[in-house]
Amino acid sequence: MTDAHGEDLAREANGSGFWMRSVAPIAATAAALALVPLWLGESRLLMGLAIAGLLFAAYAIAFNIIFGSTNQLFLCVGALAGIGGYATGLLTDRAGLPMPVGILAAAAAAGLVGGFISWVAVSRSLGVIFTGIVTLAFSLAFGNLLLGQRDLTGGETGLVIEAGTGTFLRQLVPPYYMFLALVVLYLVVYRVLHGSHIGWAFRAVRDDEITAELAGVNVARYRIYAGLIGSVMLGLAGALYAHNEGYIGPSTFGFGHVDVRVLVMLAFGGIGTLLGPVLGAVVFTILDEVLVGFGQLREVVYGALVVVLFLGFRRGFLPAVTSGFRRAGTWRSDDAPDRDESEMRS
Amino acid sequence: MTAVILDGIVLGLQFGLLGVGLTLVYGLGGVLNLAHGQLAVVAAVVVTLVSDTGTAAGVAVAAGLLAAGVLGLLLDSTLMQPVYRQRGESRVLLGLLLTLGVAFMIDGFLIWRYPTRGLSLNIGGGAIPILGVRMRSGSLLASAISVVAGIGLVAFFRGSKLGRAVRSVIQDEEGARLVGVDPAAARRLIFVLSGVLAGLVAVTRSMTSPVTVTAGIDFTILALIVTVVGGLGSVLGAFLAGILLGIVNTVSSFYIGTYVTTIMLLLAAVLTIVFRPTGLLGRRT
Repeated sequence: MTDAHGEDLAREANGSGFWMRSVAPIAATAAALALVPLWLGESRLLMGLAIAGLLFAAYAIAFNIIFGSTNQLFLCVGALAGIGGYATGLLTDRAGLPMPVGILAAAAAAGLVGGFISWVAVSRSLGVIFTGIVTLAFSLAFGNLLLGQRDLTGGETGLVIEAGTGTFLRQLVPPYYMFLALVVLYLVVYRVLHGSHIGWAFRAVRDDEITAELAGVNVARYRIYAGLIGSVMLGLAGALYAHNEGYIGPSTFGFGHVDVRVLVMLAFGGIGTLLGPVLGAVVFTILDEVLVGFGQLREVVYGALVVVLFLGFRRGFLPAVTSGFRRAGTWRSDDAPDRDESEMRS
Repeated sequence: MTAVILDGIVLGLQFGLLGVGLTLVYGLGGVLNLAHGQLAVVAAVVVTLVSDTGTAAGVAVAAGLLAAGVLGLLLDSTLMQPVYRQRGESRVLLGLLLTLGVAFMIDGFLIWRYPTRGLSLNIGGGAIPILGVRMRSGSLLASAISVVAGIGLVAFFRGSKLGRAVRSVIQDEEGARLVGVDPAAARRLIFVLSGVLAGLVAVTRSMTSPVTVTAGIDFTILALIVTVVGGLGSVLGAFLAGILLGIVNTVSSFYIGTYVTTIMLLLAAVLTIVFRPTGLLGRRT
C-alpha cells in the first residue's frame, strides 16, 4: 500500500539507479541475516543475542531517521522504545485489549510523545543543544516515572508480560524472522523517505538549513515528520520486544543500556547511511558478547569507542574505511568531495 | 511548609553551584560538558580514598577538588582541542558526543573499580533553629559554602581584571583577542574552575545526603536543567534558577512523591524553553 506508493516516488526521484542503490543492498542484507538461524538456531542463548541485535538495528535505523536525517539529537531512544513496551504491556495485560491493538496503540503513543518533543524543538527552533538537554532530561524523568509508579510498572522489579505467551513470539526462531522483517521494513521506510521528495528535503535541511528554507523547503514540517516517524518506529520495536521477551524492566529501556549502544552503532556504521545502522548493530552485538567477561568495564570501552569514532570518523568508521579503499584503488581521488575535510575547514 | 522551602533553598544553592560550572564552560567554549556530573563523582571518590588513609578531612577535600580540577584541565587540553576547532552547530554536537563518551568512561571505570563507594561527610554539631525551623548544621555549612562560592564567583567576574578578561571572551571572542586576551587561556582557566566547582558540589552535597558512584548522570542532568532555566552563560541566573528549582524539587517531592521531582524539573525546563528561551538571565545568542 503506502510502501508501493512510496517506492514509485523513490523510483521517479532516483531513476534507473534505484534498483542497484536501494533494492539490492536491502535484499542482500536480508538474505545474509536470514541465514543466521541456520547457524545459531540450536542455542537459546545465541538466538536471544541475535534477536537483541536485530532489535538494536531497528532502534538504530529509527534514530538514524531522526538524527542522521534531520540533525535532531534525541537522547531518549530507550525512553521512546520504553513507552512502546510499557504501553502495550499495560494495554494487553491490564486492560485486556488484543495484542495487535496494544502494539499499534503503543507505537502511536511513542509517536505522539516523540512528535511532541520534535514539535517543541522545531517550533521554538531549538538547536542540537536544547533538544539534547530536553530529551536527556526526558530519559531521566521516564526512568523515575517507571520507578515511582510501582502499581503500574512494577518499579525496579519490572513487569512480566503475559500477552504473547503460547504464540510464535515466544518460540526460538520465528521471532528472529519477525524482527528481521521489521528491520527490512525500517530499511525500506528509510529508503523511501530518502528517495521521495521528503528525502530531498531532509538532505537539503541537513546540508544547509537556510538555503533549504530559501528554496521553499518547509524545514519545520519535515523535522517534525522525521521525529514522528522515527518515534513510531522506536515504539513499535519496543512493543514487539516486550511481547517477545515476556519481561520488561527499567533497565530494558534505560539510557545506559539503549542510547549509548545506539550511538556507538551509528558512529561505527555511519550516520545518514542506509546500511550503517545494521552493520553497526551486527558488529556491536558480536563485540558485546566478546567483551561480556569484562562486566562494567565494557561501559568504559563503549565510552572510548564513542569518543574515538566521533573524533576520528565524523561520517562513521565504515564509510571512512570504504572510501579510503576506493581512493587507494582508483589512484585518483573519486569525484565526491571528502566531507570530513570540508567540514573541518568550514 | 517553611521547613520544606528552607530545605529547597539548601538544595537549590547546590543546584546553582552545579549549574554555574556547566554554564560557564558553555558560555566560554561553546561546549556543553555532559561529563560535568562525573567530575563531581570523581571528586567524591577521591575524597573517600584519601580520607581512608587517615588524612585529615580538610586535606582529603582539597585533594578531591584538585582531582576534579586536573580532570577538567585534561579534558580541555586533550579532547576539547578538536572541538574548539569546529564552528557553530558542529562544535556543539561534537562537544556533546565526546563528553558523553567521557561520561561513560568515567562512570564505567568508577562503578567497576569502586562499586560501593559513597561520600558522606558528617558535620558535627546539633540542629540550629532558623525561622523557627531546626536546620541540620550540615545543611547550613553546605549552604554557607555555596553562597560564599557564588559571591566569590560574582566578585571574580565583576571585580578582578582576570575575571573581566574572561567575560570579554564570553561576549566577543574576536574583540577580546584584539585587546590582548588569550581565549584559549581563558577557556582553560574556566574548565579547571568548572571542575573544582563540580567537586565542591560533591562535597557540599555529601554534607546532607550521600553521593554515590552512580550519581554522575543525575548531577549532569540537574546541571543541564539549571543551565537551561537560568540562561546559558549566566552566573547569577544559574544560582537564581538553582534556588527556584530546589524549592520546586522539595515541594513536589514532599506533597506528591520523590519520583515526580525530575518530571517537575523537566517541565520547568520545557516551560522555560517555550516561554523564555534565553532563560531567566540569559543573553541572546
